[in-house]
Amino acid sequence: MYLPEYYEFCCRVKIIAGHDALEKIPEALEQLHAGRPLIITDKGVSAAGLANIVTEAIKDGVTIGAITDDVPQDSSLKIVNQLAGMYRDNDCDSIIAVGGGSVMDTAKGVNIVVSENADDLMKFSGAGALKKALKPLVVIPTTSGTGSEVTLVAVVKDHERHLKMAFVSYFLLPNVAILDSRMTLTLPPVITAATAMDAMAHAVEAYTGLAKNPMSDANAIAAISLISDNLLKVIKNPSDREGRLALANGATLAGAAFSNSMVGVVHTLGHATGSVCGVPHGVCMSILLPYGLEYNMHKNAHFTGELLLPLAGVEVYAGTPKHLRAEGTVAYIRKMNRDIHDATDGGHARFFEEVRDRDGRRMVPREKLEDIARAALDDGSIFYNPEECDYEDFLMIIKAAWEGAPLDRELIKKG
Amino acid sequence: MGDFKEVTAGNKPFKKAYVAIMLWFVGRAIQAAARVDKDVKKEFEKLPEDFTFCLGVLPKGPYMIVGKNEKGRVKYLGWKPGGKRIDLDMKIKGIEAAILMFTFQESTTVATARDRMIVDGEVPYACAIVRVLDIGEVYLLPKFIARLAVKRYPVWSFSRKYIGRVRIYFRSILGY
Repeated sequence: MYLPEYYEFCCRVKIIAGHDALEKIPEALEQLHAGRPLIITDKGVSAAGLANIVTEAIKDGVTIGAITDDVPQDSSLKIVNQLAGMYRDNDCDSIIAVGGGSVMDTAKGVNIVVSENADDLMKFSGAGALKKALKPLVVIPTTSGTGSEVTLVAVVKDHERHLKMAFVSYFLLPNVAILDSRMTLTLPPVITAATAMDAMAHAVEAYTGLAKNPMSDANAIAAISLISDNLLKVIKNPSDREGRLALANGATLAGAAFSNSMVGVVHTLGHATGSVCGVPHGVCMSILLPYGLEYNMHKNAHFTGELLLPLAGVEVYAGTPKHLRAEGTVAYIRKMNRDIHDATDGGHARFFEEVRDRDGRRMVPREKLEDIARAALDDGSIFYNPEECDYEDFLMIIKAAWEGAPLDRELIKKG
Repeated sequence: MGDFKEVTAGNKPFKKAYVAIMLWFVGRAIQAAARVDKDVKKEFEKLPEDFTFCLGVLPKGPYMIVGKNEKGRVKYLGWKPGGKRIDLDMKIKGIEAAILMFTFQESTTVATARDRMIVDGEVPYACAIVRVLDIGEVYLLPKFIARLAVKRYPVWSFSRKYIGRVRIYFRSILGY
């Protein structure tokens, strides 16, 4: 067990998980001395009937102050300020966020404005600007991937000034996260796969990165085990409630791990590919994860090798010689991607050349790979990666991930 | 309860002086490297015209401020951040953490991983400045120490490494 000389870990979110966890929200709010929430969601969640499930589950226990599904795909400053007005106009005393990362970021932004009684969210951007606890915030994730329900960050876009502002504070940690299998039961298999592999990447990078610590490790190992055991089962049988709940738990555990141990080159290149070509984050993560592990293997093969146990189980782990376990981990993740690809009739891409948009167009043209490598230079997640990465390194990885060929280890510059 | 004399943490003047000297020299070395090294020059060219960054130690310093002037030249702007507009503020959480870093017992990377630093500002700026600091460390330090400070010791030509090192030391001492 690796124990750093010094580390910090904080995850003070109450987790309520189960097939009927939504029904516990009134009690959770009461404990926080609240009972008139503003429910924030988006149109997709609303159209899938998930907001209705939430309101039905809680309506006898609380008075819903207001409900809105106006959150756009990217959280925006304008909508944050609008929703803060809605919160005040309806005398709300708490917030319930139902949705993915954008909804949660918006809810966190609204919470800053209403709690600080402010008129401009931007005054609180950066780290350390918040000095006191905010209003009670309950979050209900509707995908099993981002882990936003246990992270202390919110990203809000100012579309007018073309700025993406990050807000970082322990006060942004939600008070309660609800993991209920009903919230992800209708998630299509391809999205289930991408989001779960996003969570897998969180856990794997947290465990193999520079800021790893025993608390994050414990969360990461549990997350990997839950996701590995259940992902394919759920893709083959989307109505598997137990599997859905397991994936939701896995994503939250992975969120707790990576928000304290951070991530590395997989996320660095994933963010860059997302911003240059618009590829969904989870798709980038699933493709890049084995490449990130290969790139860093000369630095952390012992940690990567340990992951074979939660990934593949005790028999495979025990049957694999110690010096081959890291390679086994990479091979196992590649096999997971292939199995998911087959189970989704090719919907889950194994490499970037395969990624298509809804109209069947290639999303990552080969001529964009240089742009991706350049964009990666501006991403802070690389600080936590075990090996240094410059433009040539990024380009080498993204080229291999585009073609679907393993990395040529001879080309890796070893520090 | 009886009367007790309040015990406050020591000022640690020698440690502060050591870190202050290191920051002073690193600041002047960055100014020099921006004129001598092509990669440092490129990094600063990509930053905004009046970009200024501060590297310092909480709670009360010492600090080092480096920025670009109106002509785009990189200048060491002293050790007092007061009144200056800072685009990127990098703070080491305490003097003990700073000592670990500046005596190379802990690399910049490990210090970051161990939450020793607070960074306030745009992430791309921070990425650029970390690359500049890494290059600066390679110039200023002998290989066996620099290897502790950077993740990967670069492979440079003889002229870049040794002639560049002499030029940067010379310029840092003379301050131009």
